[in-house]
Amino acid sequence: MIWVQLVNGLMEGMMLFLIASGLTLIFGVSRIVNFAHGSLYMLGAFLTYAFVPLIAPGTVAGFFAAVLAAGLVTAVIGTAFEVLALRRIYGRDSLMQLIITVALVFIIRDLVRWIWGPNSLMVPVPDALLGAWVVGETWFPLFPFVIFAAGLVVVVAMIGTIRFTRAGILLRAATDDRGMVALLGSNEKLIFTGVFAAGSFLAGIAGGMAAPYGDVNYLLDTTVIVSAFIVCVIGGMGNLYGALAGAMVVGLTKAVGVMYFPRLSMMLIFLIMAAVLVARSMGRQGGPAR
Amino acid sequence: MSLLSNQMSPARWAVLLAAVVGLELANRLTGAGTSLMLAEMLILAIFAASLNLLMSYGHMVSFGHAAFFGLGAYGFTLAVSRAGLPVELALLFGPLLAGFGGLVFGALCVRLTEIYFAMLTLACAQITYTVLFQWYDVTGGDTGITGFMPARFGLSEANFTTLVLVVLAVCLALMARLVASPLGLAIRAVGQDRWRAEALGLAPRRVQLVAFVISAAFAGVAGTLFAAFQGAAFPDYAGLGFTLEALIMVVLGGLHSFWGGVLGAVLFTQLRHWAPVLTGHWGLLLGIVLLIFVIALPHGVAALGARLGLGPKGDRA
Repeated sequence: MIWVQLVNGLMEGMMLFLIASGLTLIFGVSRIVNFAHGSLYMLGAFLTYAFVPLIAPGTVAGFFAAVLAAGLVTAVIGTAFEVLALRRIYGRDSLMQLIITVALVFIIRDLVRWIWGPNSLMVPVPDALLGAWVVGETWFPLFPFVIFAAGLVVVVAMIGTIRFTRAGILLRAATDDRGMVALLGSNEKLIFTGVFAAGSFLAGIAGGMAAPYGDVNYLLDTTVIVSAFIVCVIGGMGNLYGALAGAMVVGLTKAVGVMYFPRLSMMLIFLIMAAVLVARSMGRQGGPAR
Repeated sequence: MSLLSNQMSPARWAVLLAAVVGLELANRLTGAGTSLMLAEMLILAIFAASLNLLMSYGHMVSFGHAAFFGLGAYGFTLAVSRAGLPVELALLFGPLLAGFGGLVFGALCVRLTEIYFAMLTLACAQITYTVLFQWYDVTGGDTGITGFMPARFGLSEANFTTLVLVVLAVCLALMARLVASPLGLAIRAVGQDRWRAEALGLAPRRVQLVAFVISAAFAGVAGTLFAAFQGAAFPDYAGLGFTLEALIMVVLGGLHSFWGGVLGAVLFTQLRHWAPVLTGHWGLLLGIVLLIFVIALPHGVAALGARLGLGPKGDRA
């Protein structure tokens, strides 16, 4: 049982990392705390629900194609928001930037309820992934492994892009010193938009991939964003590899905590986050950890 | 400067007096439904003003202010329902518990700045919410605590609303007094530039902690009134929803102005009250209004007032 929960924890950690990576990259480059990132995740889940019956239903390839399509549509919506609204207020009070993303939270939640209704929806697991591996006495459901592996592929692709491509170099440079990047002749706006689009895409496919694993409902946005904040804070806002560690800590704590003290597992995660923050404050002063 | 200082112009006194008289007339001359709506609006105005104090003067953005609203509600409710105290005495325990919560959480949070400060306040609030939600034996869990007293102390709708109006006026007078006091100046100084304030001999963290506790206690007053208003307390009072609402009110009303919180609460509750006339899509409407305000009117309604010559001229915190 504990092993099954560990696998679930790893899978949930991987999904959390996909969301949190977008959040932390956006923060790193533009210093914007995107409250709507959980909403983009939720949108990805609902869009996957809508696309699954359209694209070769029941097959593994069809499922991942639906997830990919959902991710792309989410990216388009996220980009539209960045270009039409967020871009107008770069350089303003950081609170205003936060509130404008809160506005998007309300809008997406209302639209999702409008289109899909208030009830929880189920996205079917592809037929081929319904089975389980039997190791000794334990049955390991196949689906979490596959999602974990798919998440890993995305993460490797993302880290590869960040490390080895020109876009990745610009992103890292902008995280370090965006003013300097602009001075050196790169289009700062394009970098911001690109990061926001990529982050939206990651949130969208994470929502889609995790959709069959639980209920899809319009309350996902706040639960997910709070978890993603915790992950980013544990890892240090703007720090990608820190977010990876944070995601695994949160995913595993949730999954294992549910077994031993179901009522307090969420509280434990907040306590970890508070402990990390307080410990950090005892060290050096201020500044995002990288 | 502030409400009570000698720079308060006659025009502003007149506007203030007219607002109070107008509210009381609306309360008395219309039905009980309007009185209930006004009571909720005025309670939320205290709550938003308490957050505004923290944000506009202390420059501390809290993602967890509802924790103190909830603690206020539960401090009062538990004192009546579990400790069996008379209601009049129990009223003190709301702000007290909220202030105590502010002391404990604040002591941790003021070690951090900006986004990490906000995140730790969020964690503290979610811990508070989880405790209220899960500690069934004491807090009743998600069913909350109900039926421990007649709603509104058994007062009529209109009389209760008048009571809330008086409490709001007292709270605002105290806040205005605070803002103009040496302590208020210290809070502003630390809010604007903590290093410079420290160089001038202030202890930034201590000043911030004091501001945090005061703000929490005022939020506790609002929570206490809200629990009395509903005759009930629920864990949601400490939830993220109430925090976001308070943040939105401050932004709509106008950050960096004394009246921001109050004006925002008025605007927000009126919008929510009348929205069903226009549309069933409250979230969409609120989102669009927020977008318009943030992009076109970043200093909120208070800035409009200032443009008309009514605003607090030297009051830019």
